[in-house]
Amino acid sequence: MVAFKGRALVKGFAEGEAVVVNEISFYGDVDPETGMLFDGRSLRDKILVSYKPRGSTVGSYIIYALKMNNVSPKAIIMSSSEPIIVAGCVLSGIPLVDGISIKDLKTIKDGDLIIVKEGLVLVNE
Amino acid sequence: MVVLGVEDMYLTKEEERILGGEEGWAKAKALEVIVKVGESLGAERLVNIEHAHISGVSYRNIGRHGEELIKSFADSGVRFSVKTTVNPIGFDLEDPSSIPYATIDEGYVRHQYNILTSLKAMGADLTLSCTPYYLPQVTSIKEGTSVAWGESNAVLYANTVLGLKTNREGGPMSLMAAITGKTYYYGLHLEENRVPRVEYVLDNKSNMDEADYGVLGEIIASIHEGINPPYLDIDLDEISLREFLAALGAAGNIAMVYINGITRGRVKKGELKKEMVYRKEIESRREELGIKERPDLIYFGCPHAGVDDLRVIASQLKATKRKFDGKIVVTTSRDTIARLGKETIGILRSHGVRLIGDTCLVVSPFGYKGLRVATNSYKSLYYLSKRGIKVSLLSIRELKDVIEKW
Repeated sequence: MVAFKGRALVKGFAEGEAVVVNEISFYGDVDPETGMLFDGRSLRDKILVSYKPRGSTVGSYIIYALKMNNVSPKAIIMSSSEPIIVAGCVLSGIPLVDGISIKDLKTIKDGDLIIVKEGLVLVNE
Repeated sequence: MVVLGVEDMYLTKEEERILGGEEGWAKAKALEVIVKVGESLGAERLVNIEHAHISGVSYRNIGRHGEELIKSFADSGVRFSVKTTVNPIGFDLEDPSSIPYATIDEGYVRHQYNILTSLKAMGADLTLSCTPYYLPQVTSIKEGTSVAWGESNAVLYANTVLGLKTNREGGPMSLMAAITGKTYYYGLHLEENRVPRVEYVLDNKSNMDEADYGVLGEIIASIHEGINPPYLDIDLDEISLREFLAALGAAGNIAMVYINGITRGRVKKGELKKEMVYRKEIESRREELGIKERPDLIYFGCPHAGVDDLRVIASQLKATKRKFDGKIVVTTSRDTIARLGKETIGILRSHGVRLIGDTCLVVSPFGYKGLRVATNSYKSLYYLSKRGIKVSLLSIRELKDVIEKW
C-alpha cells in the first residue's frame, strides 16, 4: 500500500479503479454523453488520475454534463489543477485532489484500486 | 512536501455568511466556485467587482448541460449582484437564418432562447456582443475598477485600453462572478502584475494594416512569457488595435498589453528588457496566409465591427464597379447597427453585404471542411481553421483589389 498526501480542493470520499491520462482537456478528449475517452477507455465510476490538465473554456460544463449523465469519474487527482477543472468539480460535487507530484502520480497504473479521503490518496490498500 | 491548507483564503464575515447559504444555495455555490478556484491559484482574498461580462453563452459551445446549469441558477430566483453584459450567441435574433453555410434548426433556436431567458431572469443586459467596451454602460466605468470578464479579446481591451482590471474568466467563472459580485484577488487585479518588463521592438512599423497586426499578435503570443504585459511602442488605428488584441487573446494566454500612449499605468522604460521583432517575419507569415484561390466568403467583424470598420468597408465597395462573386458577411452588435448612417447601410446593401447582429462566425455553427473564407481577423482564422475551413487573411484596404481580381 502507498499513501500520498495532497490538497483536497473539493472534499469527499471515493473509492474506485484508476484511469491514468497524461494530459487531459475535457473539451474534446471526453464524450459527455458516454464518459468515454478519445482512446476508448471509460471514466465512469473511475478515479481519474492526470498529470497535466489543459484548460479549455467549456471544460467545466463538460464535467458537469458527465455528472448529470451519471458517467462521471468518482474523483479526480492531479499534480496541479487549473481553474476550469476546479470550477467543474465544485459545480458537480466531484472530489478533487491536487498537489501530488507527477513522479508520485506516475507510480499509479490503470486498474489500481484507489481510495480518496479528503486530501489523502491510498493506492491498493 | 508542503501542503497548503484549503482554508487559507481570508473571507469577510459577509462572504462567510453567503458561503453558509444565508442568501440561498445559488449564491453559496457560486461563491464556493470562486473561492476554490482562487485557493487553487493561491489567492489570499476576494475582490469586489463592479461589472461582469459573461462568455460561454452560445448553445453550440455549452450544449444542453450548460443550458441546464444556467437554468438551475436562474430558477433559484437569484439576481446578478452587478451590471452584466453578455457575449454573442449562435444566430441573429432578428433573422436566425441569416448566416450562410450554417444550419440552425428549431431545436437549436429553442435551446439558445432558453439560455437567454435564464440570463435575462437573473438581470443580464442581453447585449450579445464581444465588444462590450464600446457600450456606454461600460465606458462610463471608472479607470482602475475591478471587473470580471469572459471573452479574451474584451479582457485584453479592458486591461489595455480602458484601464479596468480583469483576468480571463473562462468557462462559467464570469457567471459566478456576476451572481456574487466578486472574484478572486489574483493576477491582473494586483498592480505589480500590470507593470511591463519586456519591450518588443519592431524594426519597421510603417504602413501596417490590421491583418499585419493580427500576425504580430500571433508572434508575440508565441514568445512572451509570464503574466506581466508585453510593452510596445506602436501607433495604430482602432481597427488594428482591436485585431491585434484579439489575435493575442486567441493565440495565447496574454490578458493585457502595455501600449505606449494608450495604456495608463506605471512603467520604468529604462528597466525594460528589449526583444526585437522583424517586419520580414510578419511579411512572410502574411504571404503564407494570403489568398491563393477565390474565397467563397469574405468575412469582417471578428471581434464585432465598429462604426469605423463599416465606413471603411463601404468606401472600398464604392470604389469598384464589380460585385464580389461570393458572399460578404459582417458581424457586429445591435448597438453599432443602430448607429450606422443611412448612406453606409445603403452601400453595404447594394453590394450584397450581409450585416448580421448578435452572433459571429466563430460561435455559430458555421461552415464546413474545405470552405474558403478570407478575413481581416487573425482570431477568426485561428478558430475557423480548427474546423477544417480554409482561411486566408486580407485587410479591409485590400478588399477592392480582391473583388476585382477574383
